[in-house]
Amino acid sequence: MEVRQHIKAAALAVAMATGATAASAQAEEPIRFGLCFDLTKSYTFISPQFAQAAQDLAMYTNENGGIEGHPVEIIIRDHGNEPQRGVECYEQLKREGVFNFYFLSSPVTNAVLPRIMKDENILMQAAAGRGDAVDGDVFKWVFPVGPTYWQQAANDVAFIKDQMGGDLSKAKIGFIYLDYTFGQDVLELMNTLAEQEGFDLELYPVALPGSDQSGAWSKIRRDKPDYVISWLLAGQHVIASKEMRRNRFPIDRYLTVNWLNEVDIKNIGEQEAKGLLRGTTVAGGQDLPLVKTMLDTYYANGRGSGPEAYVRDVYYNLGLALYAVNFEAARLAIQKNGWPLTPESMKAGYESIENFDAQGMMAPVTVTPSDHGGSGKTRIEQWDGQKWVPLTDWSAEYTDVVWEVIKKRSATYQP
Amino acid sequence: MFYRLSGVYHTDYVSDSRIYGVPADRNMAAFCLIIGLAAPFIIPSLYLNSYMLPWLIWTAAALGLNLVTGWAGQLHLGYAAVMAVGAYSAIHAVRFGVPWEIALIIGGLAAAVIGSLFAFAALRVKGLYLALTTLAMQFIMDWVLTHSAAISGGSHASLQAPTLALLGQQITSDTGYYYVAFGWCLLVTIFMLNLKRTGLGRALVAVREKDYAAAILGVNSFYYKILAFATSSFIAGVSGALLVATFFFLAAPEQFSVNVSIQVLAMVIVGGLSSIIGSYFGVALILLVPGLVNSAVASISQGLGVQIGVETLAHIPNAIYGALIVIILLIEPLGLGKLYGNVRDYLMVWPFDQIRK
Repeated sequence: MEVRQHIKAAALAVAMATGATAASAQAEEPIRFGLCFDLTKSYTFISPQFAQAAQDLAMYTNENGGIEGHPVEIIIRDHGNEPQRGVECYEQLKREGVFNFYFLSSPVTNAVLPRIMKDENILMQAAAGRGDAVDGDVFKWVFPVGPTYWQQAANDVAFIKDQMGGDLSKAKIGFIYLDYTFGQDVLELMNTLAEQEGFDLELYPVALPGSDQSGAWSKIRRDKPDYVISWLLAGQHVIASKEMRRNRFPIDRYLTVNWLNEVDIKNIGEQEAKGLLRGTTVAGGQDLPLVKTMLDTYYANGRGSGPEAYVRDVYYNLGLALYAVNFEAARLAIQKNGWPLTPESMKAGYESIENFDAQGMMAPVTVTPSDHGGSGKTRIEQWDGQKWVPLTDWSAEYTDVVWEVIKKRSATYQP
Repeated sequence: MFYRLSGVYHTDYVSDSRIYGVPADRNMAAFCLIIGLAAPFIIPSLYLNSYMLPWLIWTAAALGLNLVTGWAGQLHLGYAAVMAVGAYSAIHAVRFGVPWEIALIIGGLAAAVIGSLFAFAALRVKGLYLALTTLAMQFIMDWVLTHSAAISGGSHASLQAPTLALLGQQITSDTGYYYVAFGWCLLVTIFMLNLKRTGLGRALVAVREKDYAAAILGVNSFYYKILAFATSSFIAGVSGALLVATFFFLAAPEQFSVNVSIQVLAMVIVGGLSSIIGSYFGVALILLVPGLVNSAVASISQGLGVQIGVETLAHIPNAIYGALIVIILLIEPLGLGKLYGNVRDYLMVWPFDQIRK
């Protein structure tokens, strides 16, 4: 091994000296992305789709010349949602030359965050971890591209306002949420909006693990809210749907956070779920150029990185969109500052992304040094029994209120 | 041959109550101590900061739980909650301006106070009932943490720890963190080694074996149960605070949730109840083996060039790890400490004992 390295180094030195083949030797160096995921415990409802999307996109990129000539390498490890193992994974990959990380788990992301900030590596943090990390002035090395939960909730309220004729003063909006950080974080914003718009906000906390919601829904039956905004995850929507049926709450007044996918729809029942509303961060379905390319080039020939069922899942689209953004950042970075790619140039690459929508996969994002979220647009979609139908265009509402919350929260972080 | 003994014969009480009855054990302990002190210079930094350091802190914590579960015989399913009390109290104290040395003690004392509340349950109920009561305490603590922004730090319930500073020295390097963890683990180990040979230790064992029999012998089981809970909680509190100060740098409720409690209990049980060296082995197995097996499986599949789905690849280590625990407990129900003890006892007078056979 060592001998080979010496030979390699010597060969490289000769090449550099003659100035002949330096460029081609450089071109072989890969760009490495570390995915420390929870593939075995709590996040298994999204992580396999994400990993598969990243692998597919990497394969596609490599077969089409890589990122500015450099091949992409995806390294996937399991951390089982344990902070300790997440840190271990980070420390190990860091030493293998990875500086671009994604953990896809709030506990692990939180545990690694101080190390990332200290080591000045790039942390992709979309869909997990603290929302105020979109504040690029404080969290310089964190890139949670996509809408925060606050922004999603604000957009949901704006949608309801629109549906009710532009006036919420007589409206009653229910908010059913998992009673831990994921749901609780949104409360402050909902209260602010309720005060501002004058609607009645009814809160329905659901204790973990969210399998018993009967108390919350009988209260909803009594309160009769006009809409229920739901901050539940995956299988909990299925339970909610049963309760909605039992308590005669119309499912077309149920507006969920982005964590509801095709599997959940199947479990609710495709017809039963007709009318269900979802605030989404990426376009769902397979009618998108990038997803179609994957299906045609790989899955049609049995060359995909995993089962095809995972491709027909909105979380695959989300994974694809996030990695498309990430690769775009790397491309811009190399274009601007050349090889080698460093965390600094990658950061600059991220911050120069402008109106990038991954061929229609998501709302166009523009990342700036102070807004690492890229504008936070979502849209509301409705399930029509077979597919999702967009009801609104990509938009971000109440951004001033949302940024007030973000700034307030990020101020509590002391590096 | 290895121990150069023909047997262990005590001729007076002093030799009987020595920490190490056999010189070879003492030599081995000294050897481990030297390795521990030299670790930053001989062990690669990855293994130092993401294996050795958490291993030592968790060993200190597991020894604390071993005190209450192994020695005093009180089942405890809320140990992580007590660690959380220590961690949060210490961090809040430091953020308030108290120096770290005092903050750590405040964390320990706060944990001891809350932990003693568990003891009051222990005075009334035993065995599985106590396990359930302590579990309830854990859930109460989880609820308090996730519902009071003032304690948990508000934003996404994460509270940052200020930079660790001891004796006027800011500690920021991996080596520094390691020595803090090493020092604490060493302290707890020395305490536990001595506990074995004191009246307190014997009283705890008496309470464990039969508390009313102990009462007949004049051992106040009420007092010793509270003492056991308070002492172990103090160790838990300081360990929790150090875990955040040297490893996570940020406290979050998930780091002290119910599954962590069960994990610590598993460390103690797999390691061996009331076994000190067993706690070291148990923590290594429960904490480090999943990660090690994971990298091993990943590199083997990479080396063989096998195409396995990422999900399958992630589940294989879990299966291996689970099987490992089952096999170990089947071979030796008393845990890894006893397994080590068996080997040691066999080799103690080897090969002289072979002559008799």
